[in-house]
Amino acid sequence: MTEATVLAPPAAGRRRARPLLLAVLALVLVGLVLFMHELEPLFRAWFPDLDRPMYRRETFLRLTLDHVLLVLVSSAVSVAVGVSAGIFVTRPAGREFAPMVSALSAIGQTFPPAAVLAIVVPLAGFGFVPTIVALTLYGLLPVVQNTIAGLGTVPPATLEAARGTGMSRWQILTRVELPLAMRVIIAGVRVSVIINIGTATIGSTVGARSLGTPIIAGLVGDNIAYVIQGAAVVGLLAIVTDMAFEQVERRFTFGGRG
Amino acid sequence: MIELHGLTKLYDDARVVDDVSLTVDQGEFCVLIGPSGCGKSTTLKMINRLVPLTSGRILLHGEDVAALPAEQLRRRIGYAIQSIGLFPHWTVAQNIAVVPTLLKWPKARIADRVEELLALLRLDADGFRDKYPHELSGGQAQRVGVARALAADPDVMLMDEPFGALDPITREVLQAELARVHHETGKTIVFVTHDMDEALKLATRIAVMNEGRLVQYDRPIELLFSPADDFVRDFLGKADLGLKLLTRRWVHQYVAPAPWADRRASMGSLRDIVATHGHVWLVDGDGRPEGLFGARLWRAEGDPLGELSRIHPDWLATPEMTMKEALSRMVWRRVLALPVVDADGRLSGEVTMAGVMGRQPEGAAA
Repeated sequence: MTEATVLAPPAAGRRRARPLLLAVLALVLVGLVLFMHELEPLFRAWFPDLDRPMYRRETFLRLTLDHVLLVLVSSAVSVAVGVSAGIFVTRPAGREFAPMVSALSAIGQTFPPAAVLAIVVPLAGFGFVPTIVALTLYGLLPVVQNTIAGLGTVPPATLEAARGTGMSRWQILTRVELPLAMRVIIAGVRVSVIINIGTATIGSTVGARSLGTPIIAGLVGDNIAYVIQGAAVVGLLAIVTDMAFEQVERRFTFGGRG
Repeated sequence: MIELHGLTKLYDDARVVDDVSLTVDQGEFCVLIGPSGCGKSTTLKMINRLVPLTSGRILLHGEDVAALPAEQLRRRIGYAIQSIGLFPHWTVAQNIAVVPTLLKWPKARIADRVEELLALLRLDADGFRDKYPHELSGGQAQRVGVARALAADPDVMLMDEPFGALDPITREVLQAELARVHHETGKTIVFVTHDMDEALKLATRIAVMNEGRLVQYDRPIELLFSPADDFVRDFLGKADLGLKLLTRRWVHQYVAPAPWADRRASMGSLRDIVATHGHVWLVDGDGRPEGLFGARLWRAEGDPLGELSRIHPDWLATPEMTMKEALSRMVWRRVLALPVVDADGRLSGEVTMAGVMGRQPEGAAA
């Protein structure tokens, strides 16, 4: 495995766990989502020129849940497709497809999500579905690459021992390869999910409701307060999710790796 | 019992293993030895079908191994390799239990078996059961590797240079342990190495391979006395053939009655014994050797007894010790005789330099 092929946030897994900070930030996030409207006086003081400095067309809870749903569905599809493809191309039968799958997933990420939306909207219409397609394509690369890289970190001696003890191919995959590759795979999922939390805001341009909705409304209506309200929740959501993944990754560290 | 019939393996057009036939009887310790690339590892891996064979037949207890599903076959054969390959995400106990788990043994039986194997490999159960592989030294890890290979009590064990990556001291300790395990369990073992000393120490049969062919298959002593050709002779190492021979000789084969006296005996009686035998062992009240008069390369002027040498623990020989080691101790301590002690440390005889030289080698030993 070459370190460069593994997509992971810098120093992933090497930092000390910060469960306390995570808990505090998560509380702030929940508070912000539930009680954003209580901050209206603050925004009024900050932006005295604006008539309506608080986004009120939907509640932030509604927007956040829709946003999370977009991310969850697209990430679930990315992970299912990406991990399966990564496993397939590391089996003897699928080895020759490895360059093709890597290239395809790389192309998926090279496309700007806005361009994907432009292509998908004529085919699938407005709203939820094209956003899911764009996010899924966009999140595929880190999952595929890290699955391939993670399976590549399993020592050949461990695989020979697994075969020598009489495990079937399925048992070797599920009991040895995947658990040992899990840390790197989860790092890929983490990158994929974080990217998609940010990118899901774009979905609002084609009518999928998300935390991007106030941002887009603010940009269109020249209301910077809306942009700040939407962006603050999205940013905090990304940070909290990232830190939560960090906790999960640590559970899959064996033998001083990582 | 394992029978190989006309075993051949082609990689592209290269004959990696070429028409190898040999039989390993029940309880034998068969060592496959040869230079790198001679096909010994490939031969071993064809037995548990990690490497498919090109032609030939392998019978395990008279049954063609090709008739069984490969996974089932492998669960019946212990397998240990140089790189050990412990599963890094499992504890020592889980690693040892791999095959019993695959065979769906009940939990309690697996736990008992793990305890038994940790004891057999001299690993403290409470200290090691829950450790992870990265917490083990190389020697401990390979003990676990051997325990894993033994776990489901297979009659046959395949070992591919299991001690090749260990430091010399650990390697010797583990060789001794394996010899003991073989002795205690009566397993049939096929063992690959390129180290002739290791082969001579462990094997009951040695198969010398070169360029894919079986050159000679004999008991160690016969190999030493009648190498089939120059290749085998070279491989045995001409220069220290004599010393290698002594690795297949044991102190108990050379032990002679020792002249001894109680440590409180009079100088006169000691002089009488030394006059007849050349030296005398002094023993304490329990019969443990304490000192030695004579048997040194030099003598003090005037006194036929020479100086009294206090027995050092490094001097002692035990009946199971190889003669090579006994000789080494004599040379190191510059004495012409070593006391042989029994399990309680009591003097039971001696081995002497003259005895090593005078003993006629016989083919049927070992």
